Amino acid sequence: MSQIETFYDVMRRQGITRRSFMKYCSLTAAALGLGPSFVPKIAHAMETKPRTPVIWINGLECTCCSESFIRGAHPLAKDVVLSMISLDYSHVLMAAAGEAAEAALEEAIEKYKGNYILAVEGNPPLNEDGMFCINAGKPFVEQLRHVAKDAKAIISWGACASYGCVQAAKPNPTQATPVHKVIKDKPIIKVPGCPPIAEVMTGVITYMLTFDRLPELDRQGRPAMFYGQRIHDKCYRRPHFDAGQFVEHWDDENARKGYCLYKVGCKGPTTYNACSTVRWNEGTSFPIQSGHGCIGCSEDGFWDQGSFYNRVTDLTQFGVEANADQVGMAAAGVVGGGIALHAAVSALKSAQKKSQDHVSENEEA
Amino acid sequence: MTQLVVGPFNRVEGDLEVRLDVQDGAVEAAYANSPLFRGFEKMLAGADPRDALTITPRICGICSISQSVAAALALADAAKVEMPQQAKLAAAVLHGVENLADHITHFYLFFMPDFARPAYEGHDWYDEVVTRFTATRGTSQKAALDARARLFHITGVLGGKWPHTLAIQPAGVTRAPTAAERVRMLSTLKGFRRFLEAHLFGAPLEDFLALESRADLATWRTGDAGLFLRAAQELGLDGLGVGPRRYLSYGAYPMASGRTTRAGLWVDGQMGAFDPTSIVEHVSRSWMTGAAAHPFEGYTDPDEDMSETGYSWCKAPRLDGLTAEVGALARGIVDGHPLALSVAADGGVAARIAGRLLEIARTQIWLEEWVTALDPAQRFMGEFEVPKDGRGAGLVEAARGSLGHWLTIEDGRIANYQIIAPTTWNFSPRDENDAPGPLEAALVGAPVAACDKTPLSVQHIVRSFDPCMVCTVH
Repeated sequence: MSQIETFYDVMRRQGITRRSFMKYCSLTAAALGLGPSFVPKIAHAMETKPRTPVIWINGLECTCCSESFIRGAHPLAKDVVLSMISLDYSHVLMAAAGEAAEAALEEAIEKYKGNYILAVEGNPPLNEDGMFCINAGKPFVEQLRHVAKDAKAIISWGACASYGCVQAAKPNPTQATPVHKVIKDKPIIKVPGCPPIAEVMTGVITYMLTFDRLPELDRQGRPAMFYGQRIHDKCYRRPHFDAGQFVEHWDDENARKGYCLYKVGCKGPTTYNACSTVRWNEGTSFPIQSGHGCIGCSEDGFWDQGSFYNRVTDLTQFGVEANADQVGMAAAGVVGGGIALHAAVSALKSAQKKSQDHVSENEEA
Repeated sequence: MTQLVVGPFNRVEGDLEVRLDVQDGAVEAAYANSPLFRGFEKMLAGADPRDALTITPRICGICSISQSVAAALALADAAKVEMPQQAKLAAAVLHGVENLADHITHFYLFFMPDFARPAYEGHDWYDEVVTRFTATRGTSQKAALDARARLFHITGVLGGKWPHTLAIQPAGVTRAPTAAERVRMLSTLKGFRRFLEAHLFGAPLEDFLALESRADLATWRTGDAGLFLRAAQELGLDGLGVGPRRYLSYGAYPMASGRTTRAGLWVDGQMGAFDPTSIVEHVSRSWMTGAAAHPFEGYTDPDEDMSETGYSWCKAPRLDGLTAEVGALARGIVDGHPLALSVAADGGVAARIAGRLLEIARTQIWLEEWVTALDPAQRFMGEFEVPKDGRGAGLVEAARGSLGHWLTIEDGRIANYQIIAPTTWNFSPRDENDAPGPLEAALVGAPVAACDKTPLSVQHIVRSFDPCMVCTVH
């Protein structure tokens, strides 16, 4: 093991040309919102730094994170990241099976002790000594602790690993528990969403592989570059909110006109994610564009906030004592009211949800 | 006799462990264990019935639209409403795209890489398989992943995002496509057809669909399908892993004029009617409490002691007291397609793959027809209100087979919710009569070489069902 393998070596070995490599570096810089001056820095890092290994394990989950990940928008970025990951351990995609697969995992842990990134999809259920999720004859929570012990850092993929997600919904039959409540001695980066957007996943992992450090995190431990924006602020239907134009029923004329979905339960006003800018399925669309409100799947506890179709009634955390109905009235009467609200709201960058807002059960306007 | 535990299985959706009793170089008995339980049915109790539309798709990140359609149909059944005709088309397009993509994922990412194992070195198809199908590197795999990602633009357009699309509601879909989007979807489909004809079939789809018998199929040599058929014939995969030979389908894709494929039960050459009231879930060998019951009456209460008699979190659904195999092959057979009926005579690993290839070709053509028939000027959503009390069933065909949701509403809340997923049928444990589930039966007789810890025959048989383990127990 005297030879240190760099990212660049790996890429060339995988048949990626120098030209494609440089293209990848500029794409990475663009995807992470860094300027062109970062391109040579990224290239230099990848040419000289030893490759950071990634081990990807799955607990109690539905595999939607892997599904999202393998549909990353830029084929080159996806290929590169995917091939680097598959070198080590990925349950869903690797070739080996059974004991050979388990042996590959042990070998990767041994070989890269203290240096690898652990990517966790899903979470451990703790009820009944973890017996609700068994992997290789042992509770998943044991595998998680075992692999985490020698990891440099942990990525919690998706709402399951970050917060618990729907499987932790009341009464949480298996006591599904997010990763950070089990592993407390490692840096953890949360990439929530159900699933997270593919480009967000590749962006986060590329950043960590390239710069060998965690990206800047918000107070909930999410990468600020993707979770610093409120869906509502970048939503293309936002002008209709400000103008007080709302969909009242799924089948009404306003739905056809593409009015705001706030009244049919959209959680965009309390959700921080890149959906309204990066969008889904290679930038095609996102839930609000398809006519269904946001359910807030990148926020902690989104599964237990009352019905998904109840409206968010209180936006007081933004210093604006108004709900959508009042905003609509104000906008009708006072020109510029909407603009003031917009400015006030845009000034807030980080997530301040929880405890301040609540969701009501009543549906009357 | 020796005992062998195979698992955890990778390249299947979720976690699976199979215990084998091996005697004289062959499997004598098999026990399928689904080691993952989350308790969705318990979480749904007491919830707003509409929340099933958001919660149940999250059972599975691969077949989430199937769960979403089943939940919507169960709610619609309880509320006695129906989607407008155009909404049925749009829902079928969303669902068809997911089913098609699932079949592609299975063939390219999960099933074929097994043929690139060193054990097969020396066969004349081996080098070609290694080039095209080695896990995460194969050339065909790359092409398939890209084609699949592009195909999902359609779920982007109609559903906003995938997985976990929210657009399908009991009385319709939330998005009425525009004329421009309709054209865009047609061009996406054209692109996918190009992939199928260039890579998977190596010939026009219509040529593959013209095949009528096993003998016709045996002559197919082009594309990745041809490569599989060559390997399958040489390895004798048609006789390997024969199931119970009872094939069930609820009928796929409801339209205004009825379901696109027929519903029914096919037993040893005889077509019979399917009666949903004769479904019973047994729990005697599951880690579940309670008694055998129809899903409207049944409940889900895990046996936390995991008592000795049980060996899986999976319940054992039975139709008229007997097992049934579900999936693309079953759908083709029940629908009376000549090629499916012909390969049904084998009923093994190769027949299941052939059933899926056939359905890939048929689904592509259906999708082209459905998108063409979309009319942006029509209604895509009707009236729906949650009934105070009522019950309903949502029966659909997911990629992996028959999926049912059974819902009871009391006082405006979910009183009971029961789900039987395709792999619950296929990978069920033994029942009250000690009859093995379809996979358990199919594994009997599979050759196992001494000291082989991961017998290839077992890998092929298990993956030929395309199990979705997270759906199985949920």
